[in-house]
Amino acid sequence: MTRNEKLRRFFEIVPGFMTWSTILGLIVFSIFKPLWVAVFIICFDLYWVIRVGYFTTLLVFAYRRLNAQKKTDWLKKCRSLEGPEVLNYNSIYHAILFPAYKEGPEILAASINALIDSNYDKKKMIVALTIEARAGDVYWDNAKELQKRFKDKFFEFIITRHPDGLDGEAKTKGANATWGAMVIREFVDSRKIDHEHVVMSCFDADTCAEREYFACLTYHYITNPKRTRSSYQPIPVYNNNIWYARSIARVIELGSSFMQMIETMRLEKFVTFSSHSMSFKTLVDVGYWPVDMISDDSVIYWKCFLYFDGDYSVMPMYVTVSLDVATEKAIIPTIIKQYKQKRRWAWGVENFPYLMMGFINNKKIPLFKKIRRGFHLFESHYTWAVWAIIVTFIAPLPLIFGGGIFRQTTMGYSLPSVAAALFRITTITLFICMFMSIKLLPPRPKDVKRQKKLVMFTQWLLAPFLAAFVGSAPAIDAQTRLMLGKYMHFHVTEKIRHGVTSN
Amino acid sequence: MNKSDTVIRHIAFFFSLALYLTLLPIILSYSLGYHIDFNKLIIYKTGILSIKSTPSGASIYINGKLYQDITPARIEELRPGTYSIEVKREGLFPWQKDLAVRSNMVTRAENILLFPTLQVTDKVSDRETDNFFIPDDRSQIYYMTKSGLYKSNIDGSNLKKLSSYSKWPSDIIGKKLSPDGKKILYFNEYCVWIIYLDVPKPVKGGEIAEVEEALRGPDIIKDAFWHSGSNHIILVAGRDIDVLEIGKGGGKNTVTLNKCSGQPQGAYYDVYNDSLYYNDSPSGKSKLYRLDLREKFFGKLMERIKKEFDIIYDQK
Repeated sequence: MTRNEKLRRFFEIVPGFMTWSTILGLIVFSIFKPLWVAVFIICFDLYWVIRVGYFTTLLVFAYRRLNAQKKTDWLKKCRSLEGPEVLNYNSIYHAILFPAYKEGPEILAASINALIDSNYDKKKMIVALTIEARAGDVYWDNAKELQKRFKDKFFEFIITRHPDGLDGEAKTKGANATWGAMVIREFVDSRKIDHEHVVMSCFDADTCAEREYFACLTYHYITNPKRTRSSYQPIPVYNNNIWYARSIARVIELGSSFMQMIETMRLEKFVTFSSHSMSFKTLVDVGYWPVDMISDDSVIYWKCFLYFDGDYSVMPMYVTVSLDVATEKAIIPTIIKQYKQKRRWAWGVENFPYLMMGFINNKKIPLFKKIRRGFHLFESHYTWAVWAIIVTFIAPLPLIFGGGIFRQTTMGYSLPSVAAALFRITTITLFICMFMSIKLLPPRPKDVKRQKKLVMFTQWLLAPFLAAFVGSAPAIDAQTRLMLGKYMHFHVTEKIRHGVTSN
Repeated sequence: MNKSDTVIRHIAFFFSLALYLTLLPIILSYSLGYHIDFNKLIIYKTGILSIKSTPSGASIYINGKLYQDITPARIEELRPGTYSIEVKREGLFPWQKDLAVRSNMVTRAENILLFPTLQVTDKVSDRETDNFFIPDDRSQIYYMTKSGLYKSNIDGSNLKKLSSYSKWPSDIIGKKLSPDGKKILYFNEYCVWIIYLDVPKPVKGGEIAEVEEALRGPDIIKDAFWHSGSNHIILVAGRDIDVLEIGKGGGKNTVTLNKCSGQPQGAYYDVYNDSLYYNDSPSGKSKLYRLDLREKFFGKLMERIKKEFDIIYDQK
């Protein structure tokens, strides 16, 4: 093992080690020093409740901004722009890449139709489907059918087949996306289009972009003086099949959407997630997505961040892209599917050793920035892994292990009532989430009963239970695997869209 | 991101931070039992008094002064010491106790039962009753009256005459329902009677129960128990532990299972395991014994008893 490999391994161990140390440490201290743990729990509970309040405030502001910007005619704004730092919007091309594996043609067709429904000029759009060769001929034939069907609608409709098992590649979406991006580059170069004038959107196969998406993206791109030093992040909503999904899955996915809205307000911590866009020039300059990492959506941001010596940011766009809720027809399979999806997201903890190694090798990024960003990344994964465990399972331990003597102390007596009183405050957040989830809903399909809207409201009562059982577990799982060197493989989430499946 | 958004975020962040730093010492000191006297600017240790009463809603007096809350109440920030606590509610007997409050500790008075001053007595039955019996399952009441034996539901309804038998002794020590629920035994110091509740053919003008004197012995009866089979009675009489075989009509068979060195002062019969617990002092010191009457242990014993019964029959 070289020094770098040892260091990388060390950083792989750190998150899991810290998480397990916290959990086991609190359990052990609950037995021997229940008072200390009780004090810690009150400190943590208060921190958590105030954090929830802080996030709720940001969520309300993000929601207001999303609502306000819904009314914006972005295309009109693009046309009216002038200035030396502004690119002409007519010169901008959009490359939309769909890395696909075994997604059915209906899923991809819906995503492509969303592009056609866009108010942006389709003759400025280069659509590329990159299909995994290992998926088999059926999916390649589907891609050919889609090409035949949609070829005339866009400037170009490219299909390509990503060979399996290329040197240095793992079975990841990033490898497929990189292959697709290289094919797009060949096309762009053949047409002698300036890379800076191409905006790359890497979409999951089920991503349906909002009508204004590309106009909004163009506006942000052409007006941004540091356009190649930014990624452009829309707000993902899981509306494609939300009316048909299980309540459990809806609550979890809506929670993800809300979290993403909150992140748009925390710019200095903002990292790309799921479907997003960036300058094609930047993508080519940094050498595309890593081909051996699972969390391609976030790692591309860190790759750019390191490449540009920390001078790279994410610009939030208050437009939505709609994706599928990972659901099943029965409850248990839905929970399992959600768990696997969240574990894949939590595998983003692999970015921590990647970033730390990048920081060690990059002397140009200021130390303060390294500490700040490194801490943010670590803290987000660490908190994700421990918070629900502390709040739900560790909190009663001092009372259980402390015995009669501890229960006779004022702390032992007060702990349950203080914790309950603190968490009662968070019901305000629950009501706000209820309200927003209704507002973000797409129109009710005709085959869905009217009463379902009531379920959409009451489903939020599941939130505390879901937080307890699926809140931290996927993150602990992912961190433990990384700690033990049992690396995860890309697990494609099969999604169900009212009879149509998508991986 | 607008500048205004940044400002909002910073305000929200620093407000949250300030809130945390302000609330944390307050909540922690409260939970740990510390109280801050802002007038004197001192911190002192306190204890908690937890008072719960049944029924709730009673007034609390601490050292004679009315406390603002009613039960259940959690009285906090009490300085360590002894307090005279009184719990009162109209129509109920008051409760009073001196309770010690210690620093950082909770003193609990959570099992206070306040009894009503006006006891409400319901008459269950108008019938003149010499004695009565309520089995453990509380399904019936059996009335021993001068006009006969009656039974009713537990609320007194559905009164029914079972027998005209009326010679109830005034000094009944115990009454027990057999495990099969078909017989009741009652006894005084000299005699054991059995009430048969399942007379197959009603006798004496429709009576469905029959009372029979099962045993009248020379020794003073201390206690009597049903064997699990409901056909034998275990008797602790004088120094003897006897088994009495019952059956309507004819003579009753009795076998002495054990002769104690003195009269047992206590006896308990475990009907689930057919074991009699009693104390005896064969070597001078009184100790607890168990007589196992279960089938597997009882087999040989029963054989011996049967033989003795056969001898008695033969002799008769």
